[in-house]
Amino acid sequence: MIQPLGIGFPYIAKLPAELYRSGLLDFVEVTGETVCRQRANGRSVAIEIIPEQLDTARATCAGLPIVVHGVELSIGSAQGWNSAYLDMLDEFQATWPFLWHSEHLGFQTIPGEDGRTLEVGVPLPVPPTREAVDLIGQRSEEICRRYGVPFLLENPAYYIADLPADPEIGDDMGLIDAIMKRSGCYLLLDLHNVYCNSLNHRRDPYSILDSAPLDRVAEIHVAGGASHDGYWMDGHNGPVPERVWELLEYTLARAPNVGGVVYEVLDEVAGSLGVEAIGKELERAGEIWSQCRQG
Amino acid sequence: MQAGVSMGLLDFQTAMGRLVRAPDGGDPLRSLHLDERERASLAALKQSSGYQFTVGVQRSWCVGRATNAGYLTLSILDPEVRSRVLDEWTNSGGGTSSFFAAETEAFLDFIAQRLPDPSHELTVCRLEQATLRANEGASTFTQRDPALVDAPECMLRRGRHAGVVMFYGEPDRILNALVNHERLLPVSDAAVVTMLFGPGLEGLCRPASQLEIALLARVGSGVELSVLMREGWRLEEIKAMLRAGFVEYAEG
Repeated sequence: MIQPLGIGFPYIAKLPAELYRSGLLDFVEVTGETVCRQRANGRSVAIEIIPEQLDTARATCAGLPIVVHGVELSIGSAQGWNSAYLDMLDEFQATWPFLWHSEHLGFQTIPGEDGRTLEVGVPLPVPPTREAVDLIGQRSEEICRRYGVPFLLENPAYYIADLPADPEIGDDMGLIDAIMKRSGCYLLLDLHNVYCNSLNHRRDPYSILDSAPLDRVAEIHVAGGASHDGYWMDGHNGPVPERVWELLEYTLARAPNVGGVVYEVLDEVAGSLGVEAIGKELERAGEIWSQCRQG
Repeated sequence: MQAGVSMGLLDFQTAMGRLVRAPDGGDPLRSLHLDERERASLAALKQSSGYQFTVGVQRSWCVGRATNAGYLTLSILDPEVRSRVLDEWTNSGGGTSSFFAAETEAFLDFIAQRLPDPSHELTVCRLEQATLRANEGASTFTQRDPALVDAPECMLRRGRHAGVVMFYGEPDRILNALVNHERLLPVSDAAVVTMLFGPGLEGLCRPASQLEIALLARVGSGVELSVLMREGWRLEEIKAMLRAGFVEYAEG
């Protein structure tokens, strides 16, 4: 069961703590890796929480509920997921409990020829195949059991269109639907990613949403992006496009189990974007949330 | 989506990951179990604009990470050298780690191997590396009981977060000149200033004495205190170096 929270924003260490106490936020989305360092341990790599940075994050969030949004699990890697991330998350949960947690549906590691794991450098989309459903479904089930709180997978933005596909799975939303049915996990619906995919692959965003398992949507992301070389990029680097706000209204009216809407901003641009501009986007998200939830 | 080409997930991901990581590096499909149809499918994928764009995004992210990681050293390199180093690094799969410290350590090692030794540029590279290590160590550094060192069987070694950097001239002058791209005197052994970096030191570094340099070299990967005492090293000097993190207890 997803607890309805309202409007959320990522924890970004460089932003003033006042933003998190401004009343614009109902919860904070914390990426655990931002308070961690990586340490080599023989042939394996550990992700260690830096206590001072975790303490700062807790103090900044000032008692607001938190959810966790991971980036390092690589849940779709056929060669194996990043168990160091899960070890870190075990410790994180014991120290700072979260209401739910999420990961990106994709893969970012491959096997190296010497047996080591290689990082690709960007997350890549998982092909919509039965094998992928079985792999990620089983892993999602395991995660649900391990943490005892809802686990969400985020739909990705992708630029490569022609992936191998099994007809019974279909496309990216078919893949997500099949994984949700198999594992019982939820969907973190990133509406800016839907917007990117609709522009880049010439698809109608509303038909993408209509094909998504909206009853499984537990959290929504909105964000801004930019155009490069004929593609709309998921840059998290600016205000939310008007069309994405429209998609938010459309989705909230059809997704009954949404716990919160998060406005995503990249750490690197948060400072230059400024608290005032961020506040405006949060206010807009809050207005839409209130209208849809009251209506 | 391309229905009907049912490639094994591991083979597909390995091929796609290799294609994106190093698109021009050898045969990305080597050692994979693919039939002709699957190979043709991947060849078509490689021609697609979406693939080309993904490679561009990957390269941009990797260059961005590397630039952040070796910021000071890169800023003082000749633009042509800087561009070549970044290209070589990302072509070899560098810049893919999202953890800053791990990326920095590896990248600075990579740069150091490509700089003349000795050179002012190499000094700055080592300075950046030593600062990173000492800073990393400082977040977990705790003063151990100095009385432990009174036991003659106590084993000491060089601190894992300690560093030694040699400047061929006055450090501030060299750094200012490099950052402002001013001409510097050629490297010479005549005016070497050695700086010691340690996680327990306020400000993380200070000039080293000849005695400290010699002691650090002597301690190396491990030596018993009794040996040092027999050789005439003074206990107070050793304790001071423990407090700064230049030297540490070998069992820790």
